[in-house]
Amino acid sequence: MNASKPPEPRHLQLAENLDLTAVAPLHENLTSMRGEDLVIDASAVERLGGQCVQILLSAHQSWAEDDASFQIENASENFLAAIALLGVEPGDLHVTEVLQ
Amino acid sequence: MDMNEIKEIFFQECEEQLAELETGLLALNDGDDDPETVNAVFRAVHSIKGGAGAFALDDLVGFAHVFETTLDCVRSNVLEPTKDVIKVLLKSSDVLADLTNAARDGGVVEAERCEALVVELKALANGEAVSTADEADDAEATPEPQPADDETGFTPIPVTLDDEDGDNTNDEGFMPVAFSFDEFDSDETDEAAEGDVFRISFHPKPDLYNKGNETLLLLRELETLGDMSVRCVFDQLPNIDQIDPEGSYLSWVINLTTTQGEEAIRSVFEFAEWDCDLEIVADQVDEVEGDQLDDVEGDDPLNDAVVDAQADEPAMTASSDAVVDDTSVVEEMKPANDPEPSADNKVIDLKKAAAEVERAETKEKATARSGPKSAASSAQSTIRVELDRVDKLINLVGELVINQAMLAQSVVESTGEGSSAVTMGLEELQQLTREIQDSVMAIRAQPVKPIFQRMSRTVREIADMTGKNVRLVTEGENTEVDKTVIDKLAEPLTHMIRNAVDHGLELPEIREAANKPAEGTLRLAAKHRSGRIVIEIADDGAGINREVVLKKAIDNGLISSEANLTDEEIDNLIFHPGFSTAEQLSDISGRGVGMDVVKRSIQALGGRITISSTPGKGSVFTLSLPLTLAVLDGMVVTVAGQTLVVPLSSIIETLKPEQEHLHGFGASGRLISIRDGFNPLVDVGQILNFTTTPSDPLTGVALLVDSEDGGQSALLVDAIQGQRQVVIKSLEANYSNVPGIAAATILGDGQVALIVDVEAVVSASRVGALKSEMSLAAVG
Repeated sequence: MNASKPPEPRHLQLAENLDLTAVAPLHENLTSMRGEDLVIDASAVERLGGQCVQILLSAHQSWAEDDASFQIENASENFLAAIALLGVEPGDLHVTEVLQ
Repeated sequence: MDMNEIKEIFFQECEEQLAELETGLLALNDGDDDPETVNAVFRAVHSIKGGAGAFALDDLVGFAHVFETTLDCVRSNVLEPTKDVIKVLLKSSDVLADLTNAARDGGVVEAERCEALVVELKALANGEAVSTADEADDAEATPEPQPADDETGFTPIPVTLDDEDGDNTNDEGFMPVAFSFDEFDSDETDEAAEGDVFRISFHPKPDLYNKGNETLLLLRELETLGDMSVRCVFDQLPNIDQIDPEGSYLSWVINLTTTQGEEAIRSVFEFAEWDCDLEIVADQVDEVEGDQLDDVEGDDPLNDAVVDAQADEPAMTASSDAVVDDTSVVEEMKPANDPEPSADNKVIDLKKAAAEVERAETKEKATARSGPKSAASSAQSTIRVELDRVDKLINLVGELVINQAMLAQSVVESTGEGSSAVTMGLEELQQLTREIQDSVMAIRAQPVKPIFQRMSRTVREIADMTGKNVRLVTEGENTEVDKTVIDKLAEPLTHMIRNAVDHGLELPEIREAANKPAEGTLRLAAKHRSGRIVIEIADDGAGINREVVLKKAIDNGLISSEANLTDEEIDNLIFHPGFSTAEQLSDISGRGVGMDVVKRSIQALGGRITISSTPGKGSVFTLSLPLTLAVLDGMVVTVAGQTLVVPLSSIIETLKPEQEHLHGFGASGRLISIRDGFNPLVDVGQILNFTTTPSDPLTGVALLVDSEDGGQSALLVDAIQGQRQVVIKSLEANYSNVPGIAAATILGDGQVALIVDVEAVVSASRVGALKSEMSLAAVG
């Protein structure tokens, strides 16, 4: 999990494998960025599990409450397929740019 | 829990649904026009269909489908529930019950019967509903619907299925669809299988993830079963700083159209089922218009959703769009359905709380569709417990009672009167035991309603077969009695009802000729009377033809030709085993056939049966049964050195006979005068063949008892030992049936005492002709 640190907004690069083992680090990362505008890069995601989606949804909800911007960009096909299968609309996660 | 257990629960629930169905239909028949009654009836059939689908009971599903469709026409006010319509519906409910029984116990229901009803049901629906649907191109031709419920803004409108302009919604934006059965035929269920829609609600618990399961993989596997749409529900999701990363806050609502049935769906969740809340509801949608039907079938919860969100315009609009746009039905309906998952969950939660022993998923199939309101109200306060467990408890309490009596007796024996503290303690114990016993008995107590409902079917069938018009009036349906008694009551009661309709009531023309209404009335009433339940079956028919009965009894050698019997005694002859009335009155067997069997079953229950008949006015059969077969309050007496128990409920008073009150009567009979009347003095020792010498009344005690004919008799016993509650031990189960003896018990000192069958002893003393029947081997 790599988080690049440009001045604004904060960037978070999602790991390739977002399964059970990735939940805690993802949560930790996101918690540490709370309150700041955030762009998440989902281009590398190969696997995405229910609990990581849960963390992302929770973060999206928290960012909305804080009135901070939250975006997921460059979503990989696998990422999009996974959230679709999980019944999550791209809008629910503010997925803006899709990686071609 | 294996499949059989789940199936068994399904059938239990079917019974409840069938009872609900019949109650509702009968209420409609009596003029009930509450839309909720129609809804309840519809839900009952729908639930049975849904559950049956899950077990691939195709016959049941097929019939229930037709039935349900016709009911839907009634529900949407397309079909007026006239008496004729309800008659067909009632017959259909009978067939549905038979199909359910056949599915459970094996066997088949005559195909012609089902087919004939299917034709009738279709005719009802088509005649009224489809004709309007056919004309739906002409929108004006659609009849103006009656607003079903102004409050909810729900207005049913029959519409055509192939209306393409999509403009067939009403102002409120919602309408149910009247549809045709044209696609229905015998292999309809196969077609249905192609389009089964399941609504799956899935909420993983944290353990699901901890054990390495993954929602995504489950959904992926589910997707292979058919067409699937998934919605993730995340309204329980906490914010990032409050969330437990390894918790589980999301749940999913999945609509799956599959040919592979519920079992395939469950197998997907096989390894996760203990770690999630899973609810699978079958929407048996069939035919090509599957999605539209889904909408119709979904209008129940949808309607509730609308109630919950009356002002929620977008939701309503969304649902109306759904009707028009096939492809978007499932998705589009979501807003309107939002309240549904929580409502359903509530139902399931209540069920779970009430019946911990069962997995929620075993319930939902048949109950989730029965509507949140009714399910919640009925589930709230009931649990389903195996009868065996209750029986075990009752037996244990019985032992406790005996033990307590033994303890009390040994205290008295060892310490004389005992210290006051011990005595007080014993009394408290006795009181507590008594309370426990009463409470345990109350668990087994059930209202007689279900059995009465079953009788209404018997009446309908026999009336149909015999061409008679019969109205069944039931009273006291909520009278409670022990479950064992209820179970054993069904058969004799059915027999008596059948007899009453078949032979008691006359044909309409004969009734009219006798200045009676063409419709005969059969009254079935239950009430509690002095610690017993009394059930009356009264008909307003012709009454018993005593001349014929008497002649027959003499011909059969049951009584001597000189016997001078009262009317009542003649009537009672029909209960005698040797009494056959095959040649009597009609070509069919006459009243009396099998009545000895009825009497025996009632007696086996510790009950009594009496008859009173008035020529031209009808007959009344009265059953008097103990409320429980487990305990009774009895008077412990000594007769010829034996200890006997006489049920307290039959004793009016006890007295010491005095010389001036005793009178001889005939050769060996004795009477005792008590106040204004003379009563036969029954020497119990002699009747039970304990002794051949008549007891001396002056040294004994007389127990004045009521007999079923309304008269009284005095039982002569040697002495009274006391009065106590005794636990009934069946003689039949442990030994064999003994005439004159109802059962046995174990007393405090460990001795076995016989419980006297008062009625049998009294009648044995009275009708000399029947006396030979009574032959008690000496019981030690």
